[in-house]
Amino acid sequence: MNRFKAILERDLRKFIRNPLVVAMSVLMPVIYLVILGNSFQGELKRLPVAVVDQDNGPGAEKVMERLNALEAGPRTIETRKVSSQGFAMEGLKEGVFKGVIVIPPGFSRDLARGSVAEVGLFLDNAETIAAVAVQSSVTRAVSDLGREFVSVREERTAPHLRPIELYRKIDYDQTLIPGVVIMAIFLGAMTTGAFNIVMDRFLGVEESYFLTPLTKKDIVMGLVGSGLLITTIIAVVVLFLGSLISGIYLWSFIGIDTLLLILAVIVLSTLGLQGLMFVVMGRLNHPRIVGVLGGFLNVIFFFPSGAIYPVESFPAWLKAFAVVNPETYSVHALRALMFKGASLGAVKGDIVFLAVFAAVSVAAGTAAFKREL
Amino acid sequence: MYAIETENLVKKYGGLTALDGVSLKVPEGECFGLLGPNGAGKTTLIRILTTLIRPTSGRALVAGFDVAKEKASVRGAIGVVPQAMTSDLDLTGLELMDIYARFYDMGKKERRDRIDELLTMVGLRERAGDLVATYSGGMRRRLEIARGLVHRPSILILDEPTIGLDPQSRHVVWELLEKFRKADKLTILLTTHYMEEAESLSDHVAIIDYGRIVALDTVEGLKKQIPQKDTIELTVSNIDMGKAKEEVSAHSSVSSVAVNEATLIISVDNGANAIPELVDRLKSLGAKVTRVTLKEQTLEDVFIHFTGRPIREEEARKVSFLLGAGVPRQWGK
Ligand SMILES: Nc1ncnc2c1ncn2[C@@H]1O[C@H](COP(=O)(O)OP(=O)(O)OP(=O)(O)O)[C@@H](O)[C@H]1O
Ligand SMILES: [Mg+2]
Repeated sequence: MNRFKAILERDLRKFIRNPLVVAMSVLMPVIYLVILGNSFQGELKRLPVAVVDQDNGPGAEKVMERLNALEAGPRTIETRKVSSQGFAMEGLKEGVFKGVIVIPPGFSRDLARGSVAEVGLFLDNAETIAAVAVQSSVTRAVSDLGREFVSVREERTAPHLRPIELYRKIDYDQTLIPGVVIMAIFLGAMTTGAFNIVMDRFLGVEESYFLTPLTKKDIVMGLVGSGLLITTIIAVVVLFLGSLISGIYLWSFIGIDTLLLILAVIVLSTLGLQGLMFVVMGRLNHPRIVGVLGGFLNVIFFFPSGAIYPVESFPAWLKAFAVVNPETYSVHALRALMFKGASLGAVKGDIVFLAVFAAVSVAAGTAAFKREL
Repeated sequence: MYAIETENLVKKYGGLTALDGVSLKVPEGECFGLLGPNGAGKTTLIRILTTLIRPTSGRALVAGFDVAKEKASVRGAIGVVPQAMTSDLDLTGLELMDIYARFYDMGKKERRDRIDELLTMVGLRERAGDLVATYSGGMRRRLEIARGLVHRPSILILDEPTIGLDPQSRHVVWELLEKFRKADKLTILLTTHYMEEAESLSDHVAIIDYGRIVALDTVEGLKKQIPQKDTIELTVSNIDMGKAKEEVSAHSSVSSVAVNEATLIISVDNGANAIPELVDRLKSLGAKVTRVTLKEQTLEDVFIHFTGRPIREEEARKVSFLLGAGVPRQWGK
């Protein structure tokens, strides 16, 4: 115990002697949050769409109503009424509009008769992602309309959209916070713990430790312990700082029990990754390899974790990886705890997985460690 | 009982035999010097004795414990100063010492007293609060010697303790080692490729070359084993050189004499003692001795005799050009 504490203290002392590293470990994930939040943007927003109304009937009015509702709600598109189709198409070509909706003459009549009423939609295929977003939201607006007119003709429902967000209204950069916290944990795990062994080996310092009665367990546990402490603190700071800059005040809606669960998820995720780093890097002796491997592993674990795109929409092989990826469980648990007010029951599975993963990886990391030159 | 005892130690790295059957016995309380050129296998031997690497075959006992089977006991009994500088640069001298002492489960008060004593002895007490990064090479060496002694080991093992130090710092280290040896009744094993170091510190010296012990004795004993003697050169006048040669050759400790113009080149045992007698003899024949030089036999002569080369010959360390030093050691050879 004494030896374990000595190793832990040595490592902590060395860490705080590098204040720049401390600051960077906190700041970098927060900067990631800002950059990711502003570059992916989640659902696309405010895509300009031109509407050419050649029908001027009640049906066209209904379509406009639907589109306006879309505009007011999820804000995927922003419509602009244009009288000339030619002008609208010109705008589409130039990129002023991401789509052009043409409501043809006779649309209201077709709708009233119950025959197929068609709305024309022209898309800018050069921007696939925007095109897909415009198409899906316009299709939804128009098909809803069709059904309402055909099947429940008499019912005058309010032209509001169904609420699509089931939970607190969450902005995209807020949904990224769990991912960014996990990234902070990954970066922390990568630059503490096992990395110190690689560094000591590179500098030849490890030799002097191996000469003492320190056991393999003392060394690995001491380094994992200090890494855990440092990384947990960084992750919590990133969690609060990240929340703050994306405009949510965690303390205003998170209770002490939720906070403890969040902490448990952070600690278990950190332990698991610390162990994993010992398995992967415990025998390396050059920091450059850690840099290369670390960058690679970060991407490998981060993107398939559901931090940015939902796991559900991955192809099967990637989904299979997501199932064994600890970060998937960390992200899921943090998201549930932060935004859905989940209790232990909802994240029990995640916590069990993370705990088992941590136990296995730390044990494997200790076993893989070579206490010899 | 011997402090260190090895029996036919062999260490192979792939096709390279770094140690080729080393058998040694170091009595308790002795200072034992291991002299060898670069790549001779000194560090390899030290690393086996200090449990850092496993021998391919053979056996070694350190403080009575088997280095392969009783590693923990060996580690508790020895203090080691490795060849490379191995202090954490971003700790202070005091922190480093304290953390090491805790590796040996020393109590708080015991640690404080011992560390204070050691830092005072190595002259680093005033700088104990500074980061090791700010120390000079000599200071770091002294700190490492103190670190190696923090748990009061009975055996101190040093691998090239003065490599890279200037002559003044080197002498400081030698004095320190003498001091500690007396104070702590230490057995010291040190490797070196400085003749002077081996000569001034060691009771026994082993010469190691290509992984083998090629000679082992006291410094005096080693010198006796080789035919090269001290060489005296006497430049004389007022005398027939043939007669002078005859007179000098008659002295009991002279083994051979050569003449070069007015100079007699005399091979002799214990030259310093022979000079006055030889000069007197020549003077009694009316000769005038105008110049005397003495070249004493050195350990270097011994070394050249046993290894066939001077000690400074460098041998490049092999590192794979493809992989550099960045992979587990086994792949990199
Ligand atoms: N890890 C290793 N892998 C392969 N070869 C090695 C390894 N360590 C040492 N050697 C080789 O073993 C031989 C002995 O090396 P060693 O370091 O013991 O020499 P040394 O006497 O300590 O030399 P120096 O005076 O340069 O320190 C050398 O030829 C060296 O290249
Ligand atoms: Mg060496």
